[in-house]
Amino acid sequence: MSPMWGSTAQYEVIHWSWAIAIYLFLAGISAGSIIVALLVKWNRHERSNSSIWDAMIKSGTLVAPVSILAGLFLLVADLGRPLSFYWLLIRFNPLSVMSLGVLFLLIYTPIVLVFTLLVFERTIVKYAWLSPLGSFVEWVKSLHSYAKTIEYFLMGAALCVGSYTGFLLSALYAIPLWNSPVLPIVFLTSSISSGIAVNILIGLVFFKSTINTESIKYLLVLDLRVIMTELPLLGIFFVGLFYGGGEVSSMAKAALSHGGLALIFWLGVIGIGLLLPLATVILALRSHVYRVGYILTNATAVLLGVLLLRYYIIYAGQIYLG
Amino acid sequence: MQGSLRALEPSVLKGEDKWVRSVCEMCSSRCAIDVRVVDGKPVWLQGNAFDARMHTSICARGLSGVSQLYDKDRLTTPLIRVGQRGENRWREASLDEALSFVASSMQRLKKTYGAQSMLFSSKTGESFDLLSSFASNYGSPNTFSHWSSCPIAIESALEQTFGERAYRDFEHADYIVNFGHNLFEGLDIPLSKAMARFAANPSKKLIVLDPRFSMMAGKADEWYPIRAGQDLAFVLSLLHVWLRDAKYDHAFVQRYCIGLDALKASLKETTPQWQERYTGIDARTIERLADEIYRAAPRCILDWGHKATTSPAEFQRTRAILIANVLMGNVEKKGGIYFAKTPEMLNELLQKPLFPLLQSPYPAPNVGISRIDGAGEEGSAYRFVPKKHGVLNSIADAILTQQPYAIKGWFLTRHNPLVTVADPQKMRAAMATLELIVVNDIYMSDTAMMADVVLPEATYLERDEGIHVHQGLIPSYTMRNRALMPLRGTQSLRETVRRLADALGFGDAYPWKTIQELRAYQAKGDSALLESLVKRGYVQATIPPLFLREEASVRAFCERYAHVDLMRVSEMFERRRKTPSGKIELFCAHIEEAFAGYGVPCAVDMDVQHNYPYTLISGKSAIHTNAHTQNVPYLHALMSENPLWMHPSTAKAHGLRPNDTCYIENEIGKEKVKVFITEGIRPDTLFLYMGFGRQTPLLPKIDRKGSSASKLLSLQTAPVCGAMITNTGVRIVRA
Amino acid sequence: MAKAYRLIFDENLCIGCQACNVACRLENDVPEEVYRLQVHVTTHGVFPHLGMHFERRSCVMCDEPPCVSVCPTGASFQSKDGLVHIHESQCITCKYCILACPYHARFINPVKNVVEKCTFCFESRLSKALDPACVSVCTTEALRFGDMDQEDSAVAMLSRKETVLFPKAHLGTKPKVCFIPARKGAKV
Repeated sequence: MSPMWGSTAQYEVIHWSWAIAIYLFLAGISAGSIIVALLVKWNRHERSNSSIWDAMIKSGTLVAPVSILAGLFLLVADLGRPLSFYWLLIRFNPLSVMSLGVLFLLIYTPIVLVFTLLVFERTIVKYAWLSPLGSFVEWVKSLHSYAKTIEYFLMGAALCVGSYTGFLLSALYAIPLWNSPVLPIVFLTSSISSGIAVNILIGLVFFKSTINTESIKYLLVLDLRVIMTELPLLGIFFVGLFYGGGEVSSMAKAALSHGGLALIFWLGVIGIGLLLPLATVILALRSHVYRVGYILTNATAVLLGVLLLRYYIIYAGQIYLG
Repeated sequence: MQGSLRALEPSVLKGEDKWVRSVCEMCSSRCAIDVRVVDGKPVWLQGNAFDARMHTSICARGLSGVSQLYDKDRLTTPLIRVGQRGENRWREASLDEALSFVASSMQRLKKTYGAQSMLFSSKTGESFDLLSSFASNYGSPNTFSHWSSCPIAIESALEQTFGERAYRDFEHADYIVNFGHNLFEGLDIPLSKAMARFAANPSKKLIVLDPRFSMMAGKADEWYPIRAGQDLAFVLSLLHVWLRDAKYDHAFVQRYCIGLDALKASLKETTPQWQERYTGIDARTIERLADEIYRAAPRCILDWGHKATTSPAEFQRTRAILIANVLMGNVEKKGGIYFAKTPEMLNELLQKPLFPLLQSPYPAPNVGISRIDGAGEEGSAYRFVPKKHGVLNSIADAILTQQPYAIKGWFLTRHNPLVTVADPQKMRAAMATLELIVVNDIYMSDTAMMADVVLPEATYLERDEGIHVHQGLIPSYTMRNRALMPLRGTQSLRETVRRLADALGFGDAYPWKTIQELRAYQAKGDSALLESLVKRGYVQATIPPLFLREEASVRAFCERYAHVDLMRVSEMFERRRKTPSGKIELFCAHIEEAFAGYGVPCAVDMDVQHNYPYTLISGKSAIHTNAHTQNVPYLHALMSENPLWMHPSTAKAHGLRPNDTCYIENEIGKEKVKVFITEGIRPDTLFLYMGFGRQTPLLPKIDRKGSSASKLLSLQTAPVCGAMITNTGVRIVRA
Repeated sequence: MAKAYRLIFDENLCIGCQACNVACRLENDVPEEVYRLQVHVTTHGVFPHLGMHFERRSCVMCDEPPCVSVCPTGASFQSKDGLVHIHESQCITCKYCILACPYHARFINPVKNVVEKCTFCFESRLSKALDPACVSVCTTEALRFGDMDQEDSAVAMLSRKETVLFPKAHLGTKPKVCFIPARKGAKV
């Protein structure tokens, strides 16, 4: 029957668009970078200021608050009615992953800011224009004794922030491509990998001028391990959808084979984000050539891949609804 | 939104909140409606539940009455043409100026060429009755209703076969054969609802014949995609089988009909095998259906439809269908067909004036001049066409050839022939030669653009009108009551005619000045009736339905009215019919005399494709009414174009994909179309919904949107009845 | 008093005329370009073995509404009668509920910029014991509405007589809107 029931445009609107994709990326990077920073902090052996490990810690501590604040700003701006966002703060729905997420963010953000102040204490003291924060800094110094506790809470909060974004999407059984229990794991893993990548990148560029071959090799192997975790996870995710029965299966297949979006996945997420770094690492390890350039390229590629993964999932879910 | 309930929320509690009972006019089904008016603004519409068949139902078009009422594109002031005709340049004028312009022009035409040089056309209904009387008093015989573009074949066939109109008892039938009568898109709520219930009832059977998988076909138990225009072949083969096997109501035919022998002779060759090559329907199916229908008789109906314009054989087709009903013996049977029990008939039977008798407020004196199309006149090709209604297809040629006499003017109301009548290209050329065109409409339609004077009509929600009697099993009365005063200077046709009649010197012909006087005159002073019609909108006395040949029905009626004699009631069916023979005519001798071979249904005139590769058919949608509603905002939002339906194999053959554009053409015209590919149509057939493809620069929303099938229709008419033919052969071209 | 509302859509009676669509628009002042209710008509099968199907696209008022559990501010809430409403003032238009609805019943009102959907005409009709607008106008009376807890209600009686199916029943949303599937025509 030729259409005569009115416009169906409202069914095709992409409600969560690029702003949300970027927010998920930023939230992931924030959580990932601070988790990595904490792990490095807890496990490092050398105490040298100019080691790559220290750079990574510093990087994570800086990236985490900046990216989460940027992300929060994007979230509020993307709301249909941004000025009404305060309702999120005064109402709580324990059944809503979004509401839980707001709670986690309300806990995480202040703690990460406090942690940042702790890590950069010496820098704060050094710079005169930060002295108005003087009394605040004194207070921060007094928290030193609680450092370990703060760090544990931070890790907990960061894990919550890092995984809640996956649950935000997977909770919706109305969206076949999101409704997988594997999605939160994919997101968490990818956010940790983005954390590693950004910490290396920012660390090398801003906080460290030299890095020795052993460290490079270590980082390249770390890259390899992360990619070899992510690739199978993505595989499990999609295979799970293929066996999801009915619409889920056909939507997943369509999302991987149709048009520009499929291209973004295969070229961007898999190609640039995973296979390119993989090839670089294997090549480097084989030929024993350890250049800083490789690491920087890999880190950028991984970050791009993570962003594109968020973009792909967000859009594919809303387009391939069945 | 202006006029919506929400917009009025704060004032609802304080302001006036009332219900006005009226009659819808978003299509010509004219369902009884309730209008909720809050603070002088209609905010809600629904069916008038006093008509039990309506309950509170109302369709999308009915509900859009408010959207139409407040449509910003509605005409608000009279317009007088400046520049060339059709150039579309206008100046606003006061009603006084416009009406005196019209009056003086009409006087001039009458003096120079005679009153007959002016045509008057309108959609059938109260406006047509009013306009015809205006025309007659003015002195012109040339009145045209929309009948010849719609039901004229049926009206003629009924008249010639029974001597009166027949009605269908869908509610109680067990088996219905539907010949494309699309009650689920061409809505008439009481009938559509009855049909919907019928179709949803698992113990009943619905057979639908339609080249397209329409909404009606979608509800069929069996749908046959019959080749366009071939219904007659199908019916003739059914009749053949029944007569061959003597499976028909012998007693009824013997007693009440004439012409059985002529019928038998005509059907000798029309076997189920014979019809296969015409319809594409298997011979065994005909045998089976014939058997099933016969076994369901008399609770079976072969539905002759409403709009009958499918082929030149229209008159024959409809006659064949009527005869099929007769043979099944369903006349005046429950679940079959019946004739109107008029107020006069019932009052006489009951010996009490239970049903008010009305007098027409629109006197139409006989005009001694013959019509341009010879409708109803001896010796003319259209002698069997009802005189008042005329043949629309004859207008363009008559004007262009100035035969039989000069035509110089045209007064139109509620009529848009440049969209609804065949060959609008020729019509436009003809209209260009006229000296006076007056259009009374709510929109600046395609036809209005060719006018000299455009008068802004008030919509039905703004009009008080007279009483309408609905004939059927039990007569009912409705009356249109205005829900609000006319907006911004629009006025009803009645007021326009009233003033023009005065200006033209025959104002005294009308025994009323105001609507109140009109109603009082019509009701012969019956104020109780009028009060009831204002308060309830729908008036119907409660009596048991009377099917004259249904024993149980007659008995129930007589039990109810002890003084009514059972014999008397039964005798009512025995009376002489208004046909030449006084009986039901299977064979019409007088038609045979005038048109040899047409006295009895026979296999003629069925071809519509004329050697073209495809037949273009058209039809109604549930969203729009012909060429009237396309601009109404609510309805426009639902459906703003009419893509051409074609089968996937057709699309493939021309390398067409969904939403491609291409053209359809034949010797009459060429029209651009947008492609809609669907399994729901025969591979050799194409379909367009009516009413699109407009030329209305002043209505930019609909201007040049969609396609007009009329541009490809020829002015050929169906023999005997003068019907327009809306199926035609076309070819597809890419550019 | 808590009610067990049900709306039955009989696909066999529906003719896709969109009277319900327009009635809803008129009653609820729905802005242009958006719809609370549409009936989609599709043709299934291969010529000439075809079937016509009618699908009511509107909120089904789930007993277990996913749009309520995902709303972070409680703007989307369920009343004691099981109806799902929207507190316009509390809606931050985060669109989570729009995505959560498996029936794609919610949309953004372009005039007010908050989320909107069918309300069973609660404010103007249901709260006054009147049927929703769509039910009252249906040209073929294909819609029945009422309280399942009342044994003699039209919906209770019809549910006992006919097979009613719940849209996307496998999701466990327990909709209040159900339909009597088409008996005629090709189904695929």
